[in-house]
Amino acid sequence: MSRARVEQHPASGMTLVVMVGLSIAFLLFIAFLNVIKSGDVLSEANLLYAALVFYAGAGALYLGFGVTGTGSYVKFASLATWAGLIVNTAAVAHRWYEAGHPPFASLYEMLLSFVWVLAALTLIAEKQYGVQVIGTVTMPVAIVGVVLMQLLRSEVRPLVPALQSTWLHVHVTLAMLAYAACALSFALAMMFLIQDKMKTEGFLVGTTTFTVGIYAAILTRFEGWGGFNVIAWDPENKSEVFIAKGVRLFVTIPDLGWLMLLVFAAVLAPLALSVLARVQKNEIFIGVANRAVFVSVLLQSLALLFFILRVRGGLYPSLDAEGLYPTALGTSPFILSGLVGGIFANLLYLLLLWRRADLERLLPDADTLDRITYKTICIAFPLLTLMIAAGAYWANRAWGSYWNWDPKETWAAITWLVYAGYLHMRITRGWRGRRAAYFAILGFGVVMFTFFGVTYLLNGLHSYA
Amino acid sequence: MVPSLRSAVRSTWKTLSSIKTGVVLIILVVIFSAAGTVILQRPMTDADDMARAYSPAMLRLLDATGLTDVYHTRWFLSLMALVSLSIIAASVDRFPNAWRYFARPYKSPDDGFRRVLPVQAHIAITEEEQGLTAAERAFRKMRLKSERIVCPDRFSLFAERNRISEMAVYLVHASLILIFFGTIVDGLYGWRGFLMLTPGTAGNQVEIRNGSSRSLPFSIRCDGAGEETYTDGTPKRWWSKLAVVDGDREVSSKEIVVNDPLVYEGVRFYQASYGGTGKLDRLLLNAIPKNGTVKAQQISLGPNQIVSLDADTKVQVAEFIPDYVVQDGHVYARSHEVVNPAVHLIVTSAKSEKAVNFWLPEIPGIAENSSSRYTFEPKDLKTGVFTGLEVSHEPGQWAVWVGVVLMAIGLTFVFYVVHVRYWVVPVADARGNLALWIGGSANRNRDAFEQTFKRFVEQIENELKPKFEEAAEQPSAVLPKITTAGR
Repeated sequence: MSRARVEQHPASGMTLVVMVGLSIAFLLFIAFLNVIKSGDVLSEANLLYAALVFYAGAGALYLGFGVTGTGSYVKFASLATWAGLIVNTAAVAHRWYEAGHPPFASLYEMLLSFVWVLAALTLIAEKQYGVQVIGTVTMPVAIVGVVLMQLLRSEVRPLVPALQSTWLHVHVTLAMLAYAACALSFALAMMFLIQDKMKTEGFLVGTTTFTVGIYAAILTRFEGWGGFNVIAWDPENKSEVFIAKGVRLFVTIPDLGWLMLLVFAAVLAPLALSVLARVQKNEIFIGVANRAVFVSVLLQSLALLFFILRVRGGLYPSLDAEGLYPTALGTSPFILSGLVGGIFANLLYLLLLWRRADLERLLPDADTLDRITYKTICIAFPLLTLMIAAGAYWANRAWGSYWNWDPKETWAAITWLVYAGYLHMRITRGWRGRRAAYFAILGFGVVMFTFFGVTYLLNGLHSYA
Repeated sequence: MVPSLRSAVRSTWKTLSSIKTGVVLIILVVIFSAAGTVILQRPMTDADDMARAYSPAMLRLLDATGLTDVYHTRWFLSLMALVSLSIIAASVDRFPNAWRYFARPYKSPDDGFRRVLPVQAHIAITEEEQGLTAAERAFRKMRLKSERIVCPDRFSLFAERNRISEMAVYLVHASLILIFFGTIVDGLYGWRGFLMLTPGTAGNQVEIRNGSSRSLPFSIRCDGAGEETYTDGTPKRWWSKLAVVDGDREVSSKEIVVNDPLVYEGVRFYQASYGGTGKLDRLLLNAIPKNGTVKAQQISLGPNQIVSLDADTKVQVAEFIPDYVVQDGHVYARSHEVVNPAVHLIVTSAKSEKAVNFWLPEIPGIAENSSSRYTFEPKDLKTGVFTGLEVSHEPGQWAVWVGVVLMAIGLTFVFYVVHVRYWVVPVADARGNLALWIGGSANRNRDAFEQTFKRFVEQIENELKPKFEEAAEQPSAVLPKITTAGR
């Protein structure tokens, strides 16, 4: 079918490939010139830059494939992904060698490994299961990951005593694999819902609820009179500023809070409109809501831009200490992820809204997707179990007890219970299709909360990541 | 009365064992344990922080419902007990059926079964025995052991693999119960506490979380403790040399570090923290006489130690203040951290019975440094350190670890070991044409199994082909048997 499409548009078929190829070559060439000047060719930053370029190329091609359905794009896209993966592997190896331990100790290192796993899984899903458009979802995530890495503190930091254990590597490797499998099951469940002819309005409600949730969490940092609290940064020591042990110093960026509030209203609008449409049974509101999503994407991008600009430059007062302090993006990784994640989710919704028919044509049929979703969860669940078990064993050695009811532990257990519930409903009650897909999506939501939400919103022993 | 009681028991059992109850219980556990991560919890959070976070009325309500210590309240434990009961009931309820399935495998499929089995195929054959031997060869090629089942009305082949996988789910449930059992034992008989030791001392009084203390039947002596730091000052390693003294002899010793505890009689000692006590350990001073009759000398002072400087003069440490501040003519300690130390020395003279307060550094208004016959220059200061040991006794943890291992094995079987079954039955249709009915089933991963099944059928067809030609040339009934014997 895609071949037919190529024949229809023979000209557009290669244009994008050539353009992306040329951009990759150009960017690498520019980088190469800079590298030759500095002399250090195989540094980690360079490798990551190359990975970013390749992933970006792959992402563009996958998106092009998602939008036009040109089959040859996907071939070049997976080539670019392969290249990115190779460079990424080199970066991981470099890091491992430099640090003397596998790259799991800080948020930066976790992201490095996560992006690697994601790229590898994309290629596996493509080759093994024939889910070719999966790159449309995963590559942008990989790009966001690599960009985030550029902002986080990347120097090799020594391990604190509690982390000096083989179990760190076992526990984190299992967690990464389990979470990546959960992410894959989520993406597959979403695709199932598309193939299962779920109404686009349903996705609208889902996406906007997700975005509203993000901005509600971000607004916990809202300070009276429109300020926005972020953690202060000490550029000399390259660390966050602490006022007491474990207590970080917050500085208030004036007026940014108003912008966040405005964007919150903007992302709330499409949700309210779609609810209104359902209550009033009036389709007109859906059209307005879709336009509101478009507006909210623009406003969200604006919020991201202003956030980055204000955080990177300027000194800000604090409520808890005298004087003015700088801040840095590295102190607010979760806010940044939230902002980027919101934009990304809404863009995916718009892609679905505008190109639904093409997407449906490209995806495997609903039954296959349903089965593969179940299979990925069958992989994720034992990995989750082992991850928790390894964590418990390690906690028993380091903290003196295998179970401390620490928020991270508790939420890991909740994740496990949700997927256990899914498996029981599926196996004994024969839950298939849409209900199972909702369950898979819920499971991944809990995973994300365990990974990001617990670290950002709740305090506990598990303060490393 | 009796039947109604019986029916009540039966309906309770039915409710308890139903999957719906299980799911409702799981949802309740999820809600309450999530609540425990959002609401501040008692033993971990200071009472002051609690009071700051919630209004008094709110705090009273939370305390009354146990929401400030969710995981240790009776109702949460009862909920966990109910979950265990539900798992047991559900397993017991379904076990007999599964056991029958496991212990008496269905080997000879009847007509009804053959009609409804979703994965099946027919191959035309000329003769029963020939078809069955071909199937047997195909089985062997797939490394399956087949057996011939003889029934009064039919004659068939059966082969299977990994029957044990049918029972694996009970292994998982049993392991879960075992883990719960371990945690209940620990909840009832286990304890956790803290023991702080300074090098050179021994102790056996463990401070338990709830404020009480527990004395161990043996004591722990600390023979040394230390910290190594990275060049940037972050801690790299904390260690303590510990010895267990039982009665009056040393029975065990170990240098423990974070992640590597000492275990004695089921009690585990973990390196949890390390720090300064803010107390003086040793002070090195240069004592310089003001009149030149005696030479300057270096002295070393510990707490409660008196050192003679000459025949007449003695010196001792009266106070050591790790972080001093002067206010209204008094010296106060601001903290226990050695950041701004001050030493109060008393220099006494035996003859004149005069005591002089010498302060380092000299604090105006209090210090009488000028009237001392000696001046002192600080050379070196060592302050005391402590090692913080987390002590725990968890007698149920073995059940937990056994449970974890069993669960890993069980889950492997549940998800990755597939029970496959094949049946081969020679059948004749209404017109008397002979055919080989081949059926297969797998308890999971059915789409992959369908591919395997298709290959199996092709394999039988291949096995049949050459023999079929031979058989056509020499129509002899014993031929297949000879071939089998010859192989």
